[in-house]
Amino acid sequence: MSGLFLAVALALYLLATATFVAYQVAAHDALRRVAVTLLAAAFGMHAASLALRAALMGYEVIATFHDELSFIACIMVGLYLLIALRTNLTVVGALVTPLAFLLALSSFALNVPSPELSPRLQSIWLPAHVAPAFLGYAIFAVAFCLSLIYLVQERQLKAKRKGDLFRRLPSLEVLDNLNHRFVTWGFALFTVGIITGSFLAKVTWGELWSWEPVQVWSLVTWLLYAVLLHARSVGWRGRKAATLTIVGFAILVASFLSVNLVFPGKHGGTFG
Amino acid sequence: MEREILIVGVNHRSAPVEVREQLAFNDGLLDGALRTLRTLAPIEEGVILSTCNRVEVVAATADGDSAIEALTDFLAAGEHISRERLVEHLSVYRGREAVRHLFRVAASLDSMVVGEPQILGQLKEFYGRAASAGSAGTVLHRCFHKSFSVAKRVRTETGVASKAVSVSAAAVELACKIFDRLEDKTAMLIGAGTMSELAARHLLAHGIRSFIVTNRTFDRAVELAREFRGTPVPFEDFRRYLQMADVIIGSTAADEYVLTAPLAHEVLRERKYRPMFLIDMSVPRNFDPAINDIDNVYLYDVDDLGGVTEENRDDRQREAEKAESIVEQEVDAFWKWLAGLEAVPTIVALRDKIESIRRAELEKTLATLRELSPQEREALDAMTSALVNKILHAPITHLKQHDRQQEAFYLAAARRLFGIEEPEDQ
Repeated sequence: MSGLFLAVALALYLLATATFVAYQVAAHDALRRVAVTLLAAAFGMHAASLALRAALMGYEVIATFHDELSFIACIMVGLYLLIALRTNLTVVGALVTPLAFLLALSSFALNVPSPELSPRLQSIWLPAHVAPAFLGYAIFAVAFCLSLIYLVQERQLKAKRKGDLFRRLPSLEVLDNLNHRFVTWGFALFTVGIITGSFLAKVTWGELWSWEPVQVWSLVTWLLYAVLLHARSVGWRGRKAATLTIVGFAILVASFLSVNLVFPGKHGGTFG
Repeated sequence: MEREILIVGVNHRSAPVEVREQLAFNDGLLDGALRTLRTLAPIEEGVILSTCNRVEVVAATADGDSAIEALTDFLAAGEHISRERLVEHLSVYRGREAVRHLFRVAASLDSMVVGEPQILGQLKEFYGRAASAGSAGTVLHRCFHKSFSVAKRVRTETGVASKAVSVSAAAVELACKIFDRLEDKTAMLIGAGTMSELAARHLLAHGIRSFIVTNRTFDRAVELAREFRGTPVPFEDFRRYLQMADVIIGSTAADEYVLTAPLAHEVLRERKYRPMFLIDMSVPRNFDPAINDIDNVYLYDVDDLGGVTEENRDDRQREAEKAESIVEQEVDAFWKWLAGLEAVPTIVALRDKIESIRRAELEKTLATLRELSPQEREALDAMTSALVNKILHAPITHLKQHDRQQEAFYLAAARRLFGIEEPEDQ
């Protein structure tokens, strides 16, 4: 059942992507409304599929890498829909939607049965760690999209190209402010995720901090985002902030992939 | 009596903005003003144009001198401005000059930013309002329609309009791509030139409320600042205020950079790299082009804004000359048509035309009827002549009637019905 919902969600993501791209080209307002509606429907299906699985399997719903991806994709789309309620940043939708499609697709394609979760992991600290961490990842992912758009628009302004794309893209100030807000929230949740994660580590592995790969990578990413937030108060805004956001997200993805696929330690593999 | 076209009013060449503002007919007043215009004795037809660059009345009259007086009174009647002050700034175009002026306005050759596209739409709207108020008649209908087609020719046949899009509109568009909202931003004018004033006006219209104005002649800064409810700043001190400005417009006549890259860098640091938009309206340039390489500063000069580069300034000049010659041709054509609206030439042309048809047909017939006697030939000649005269009697009587509004209409109709219009008007 949840598989069917996910399949429908995937189809809707694909349609929404096509409509967002069509809107970027044709700028017909009806297309924008259709795209957002399709995406909202896809989000509903996706969330329903995840909820069904969670109800069925409990904690094991996030036991594998591709399940995590699916969760993160779903949260990302939810975040974008929140933005879409208040602003008209369809170009962000045009980036977030295909990204969500790819993540959800990998989850669908790699649909292997979930391994048993170690009973020690089945603690209240697991959702307390996973929920803020995933929300943080999703927020950083959207911030990454915002930063990419910022850099493109910034490039066009500096190079004095005033083409169609330039007209479609939002103002630098909107992108920069939104980016700052997202990074702030992402950072807060990420921090909570690290703290609750170390409590989970205490429960399962017996120590709060064990310099295990995910912990190290997370610390590096955390420091980078901390620098980014601090630097803003001394004027690191705009292009520099966008570049740092992109670098931060790249490190995040690299750490996420390496611990899950390349060096599955105790963190990855069975549990990301 | 000869019919004349007149344009009386103020425009951006003849009057400063304070005067133009005082005279402007806002939307609510326009219809009433058009009704008043119709009641003025020497004015046969009238159209009011009221944009931010001009307030002008285009009129057709049989008595130019008293029409100019009547229109001056009409414009001064708003009581916002004394007649003396108005006369000081009044510009009057008569006859061919007036037609040329209207055509140049329509083709955006008389705009502050030559080639800006909005003016044609405005002109059409004001003409439409006059037409529905019944104050535009045959002559002005023709004159305005002609001006629209002149504008179209200039747009399609020359590069005037396509290259020079409104610089100010482009500046506002860019500002809106850098800043989310303009309401909380501050603009600074360094130098008080017309272009920078125009750009500032556009920014004001799009939400910027706070202005700082500096100028080498301080009085001018004070004057301009008053207009934007801004703060005038002595030129020696302006550097201290740079960091407050989100948008800076430069238009001084300085030979060297007013804003160098190191200074811009320092300003950026002071304002913690909040973005700045610099618009350089002057030639030679006021702002060092290297400033554009600094993070979070966007520097545009006039050519960047218009998409027109240095190299094709000559092209632009050439295109403008081409446009002027189109206007000249069209003024000639219109002038011929207008002359045709005098009763005598129309009647002569009508008689000539019919007479030439009669002769041609008579000769053809006589050529086939060789056996006719000379008397019979003369009788045929007389008969056809009488026929023509009788047919033309009623139309010609009508064309000589005294109501000039009506006369113009019938003259135009007659020329069209009998096919005696100029070839380009068909």
